[in-house]
Amino acid sequence: MFLARIGGTVVAASKHPTLDGCRFLIAQRLEADGSAASEPIVVVDWLGAPSGATVLVSTDGDIARTRLGNTTPARMVIVGIVDAVPRANARGGGSA
Amino acid sequence: MRLGIVRGHVTLNLAVQAFLAKTLVVLEPVTMENLCAGNGLGGGKALVAIDSLGAAEGQVVAFTEGREASNPFWPDAVPVDAYCSLIVDSISIQP
Repeated sequence: MFLARIGGTVVAASKHPTLDGCRFLIAQRLEADGSAASEPIVVVDWLGAPSGATVLVSTDGDIARTRLGNTTPARMVIVGIVDAVPRANARGGGSA
Repeated sequence: MRLGIVRGHVTLNLAVQAFLAKTLVVLEPVTMENLCAGNGLGGGKALVAIDSLGAAEGQVVAFTEGREASNPFWPDAVPVDAYCSLIVDSISIQP
């Protein structure tokens, strides 16, 4: 699992049949210092994560297979929306 | 899933049985910088993926990597690393 920041939404008419009806978001993986990775990723969102939110992404496909069937290629799924990530060298990063 | 631009198709002469009648595309992963710029450039290291959707050259696809890439062929065992899951129509970036 890793943290990522939501950057936007993806619209795709042509997709694997098991992905019909899924919401896809663009996200950037976050490093330990809070900086974003250069390559974006596409994640499945069932929680309604808003743009700019920090989310917890799981790369285990089991939850996707449970919901979408054994033949789904879905892998990266948002499993939580993050409230705060306290950092050792950045005080008060809480509910600002 | 990562995003990649279709740069071409691969034709195999000899292949393992599992790869017969499968379409292979060469993908160039896209960086956030190029995605935001919309300049049609990729920037990542090229890879080959199986495509069942019929993506054309220049189109942007999202591809799954890892074990989940072979899920669409379940219960068959196909030695696939990457699978094109969707063809991107549009992306809206909210900075």
